[in-house]
Amino acid sequence: MSHEKDLLLVPLHVSYIQNLGKACFLQHNKNDLMYHLTAHLRMNAIYWGLTALCTMGHPEALARDEMIDYVMSCWDEEAGGFGAHPDHDAHILSTLSAIQILVTQDAIEKLDIDRVVKFILSLQQPSGVFAGDSFGEIDTRFSYIAVNALSLLGRLEDLDVDKTVNYIVQCRNFDGGFGSRVGAESHAGQVFVCCAALTILDRLDVIDTPTLSWWLAERQLPNGGLNGRPEKLEDVCYSFWVLSSLSMLKKLHYIDSDKLTSFILSAQDPEGGGIADRPGDMPDVFHTHFGVAGLSLLGYPGLVDIDPVFCMPAALIEKKGLRKGWQALERRTGYEKSSATVENVLESEHAT
Amino acid sequence: MTEPTRYADRPEWSDVLPVEQYENANPLAPIFYTNEYKDATNYFRGIIKTGEKSQRVLELTEHIIRLNPAHYTAWQYRYETLLAIDSNLEDELQLMDELAITHLKTYQVWHHRRLLMLKIRKPAAELVFIAKTFKVDAKNYHTWSYRQWLLAYFNDDELWGGELDFVEDLLYADIRNNSAWHHRFFTVFQSGVHDGEENRERVLKRELIYVKQSISLVPNNASAWNYIRGILEHHSIPYSRVTTFVQPYTLSMDEQTADLVDLDNPPPSKGAHLPCAFAIEFFADIYEAEGGDSMLKATELWKSLGNEYDIARKKYWEHRIREGLRAIQT
Repeated sequence: MSHEKDLLLVPLHVSYIQNLGKACFLQHNKNDLMYHLTAHLRMNAIYWGLTALCTMGHPEALARDEMIDYVMSCWDEEAGGFGAHPDHDAHILSTLSAIQILVTQDAIEKLDIDRVVKFILSLQQPSGVFAGDSFGEIDTRFSYIAVNALSLLGRLEDLDVDKTVNYIVQCRNFDGGFGSRVGAESHAGQVFVCCAALTILDRLDVIDTPTLSWWLAERQLPNGGLNGRPEKLEDVCYSFWVLSSLSMLKKLHYIDSDKLTSFILSAQDPEGGGIADRPGDMPDVFHTHFGVAGLSLLGYPGLVDIDPVFCMPAALIEKKGLRKGWQALERRTGYEKSSATVENVLESEHAT
Repeated sequence: MTEPTRYADRPEWSDVLPVEQYENANPLAPIFYTNEYKDATNYFRGIIKTGEKSQRVLELTEHIIRLNPAHYTAWQYRYETLLAIDSNLEDELQLMDELAITHLKTYQVWHHRRLLMLKIRKPAAELVFIAKTFKVDAKNYHTWSYRQWLLAYFNDDELWGGELDFVEDLLYADIRNNSAWHHRFFTVFQSGVHDGEENRERVLKRELIYVKQSISLVPNNASAWNYIRGILEHHSIPYSRVTTFVQPYTLSMDEQTADLVDLDNPPPSKGAHLPCAFAIEFFADIYEAEGGDSMLKATELWKSLGNEYDIARKKYWEHRIREGLRAIQT
């Protein structure tokens, strides 16, 4: 393994994200098909980029005013939510990303909170799950998004908690994990959203913690990376979803942190910056964000604390009084490898 | 391959006013188009503005979703158009077959089929189609969840009845297909009692034999061990019930003694990789449940896992040892 991949190449990743933002200001048509095919992810992409920058300690690297203007230009006046791109219909995914961006940028006053809350609540189905939009896709991801968003907006009391929790409980599988809807297979991404939603709602009691923690521990492969379900490939994004779930369940020490750290670092692109899903693949802002987030939870030196429940800067969440009980590995000061033991695992106090 | 004629150059579209994508002075994230996509989506925005629902709208939306299957507004508008002009939805479903295979990982493709099925209401044929797509990607998460929805929604015992054979075929192709194992559990234990499955004792026995035989063939299969644990826990049966079955899997090939063909306790097949870490873990859980002196035996097994048989999870096994020793002291 080359020496340059033993460290997190922060300046390179910062400029990688900056370049994604800067490409927008070029006036001539780049004829980049891929760029527009990802229009429906644009709001999410900005949130991923911004949060990654925050975790790496460079929140100022993307222009704040232009970012806020963009977010507001995605406001769907008819629906009362945010689309992924101007002229796109409002969707719960882009609405959360918009809220997260505005909270991070300290610009929440731009929001018509009542309308956004109304939009989010309107998406709850009779079964208790949330839809993404009027198209009708349902997924426990959207339940988490609703809980996260309402919490950030200080309007969690408007939610029918029991109804929301009851649907999540029905998604609990025989292996302790959770799926996207009732009957669906356990998947690390869905486990994350269910754990996080239940954490925010103080209902971790419905989780079979020993079984789920073991299922999560089983995601680690011999190469150090984590997969999303048995017999699937490792992927950097699971570094966050599996890790943050274990963080919430207070079982972070189940993972071999050195091996996972090495795996994430090996997925970096040492030339152009950014992190890919696995070593050798093309990087993207999604995996860059989740890779850096995972490293932060693992105590990688020089990074800023991230809140695993909201996937946002921990200090911000704490300031809003939303911090829940979760674990992170102690931030190392040097770059030597260290092992996670029960002793160096930090537990945050539940905010009162 | 030449690009198709732009809508802007087609006389039959000349009555539509195309609408350019919104681009403000300094957007943070403008979109760069190829001409074909730009042209098509301009005209799409044009017909949305007028609210047109017609055959040519179907042509246009099909063009867009072929270029960009994630364009959920195009899917939504297409569905509304199909209903508005009273299109043949079964023809639409068939048209979508090709798109489904090409864009398996796109949620919209499956959601569109779901909406169509709510109208067409012919789930049997749809199950056959889904089975075909599994030949391309046997673990596709959207597809599996769609199949589960279809079965639960129509809740037809004849349909449910075919699922065991279906799972069997998939596991024959790949015994480690976790999605298939999950689906089996869902079908047998989590979707009510179907015709022919009323004798729950018999069903339980059948499933235990099934998973044991699978383990016998391929012991190193996480899904199978999760399955047997799931069955026992679901019925509140202690793990110790299967001690005799599990024990040989905790030993090496040389240490095997079973000669008899015992249906209740199929032994490891020749060539199996032994000892099996999952079996050792299972055995340790049996000891742990016994408590007392057995706890020390459990910690010995956990040590062997952390040091030799499941080194990737050394940290986890060290935790189990710590917890176990703590339990002895109290």
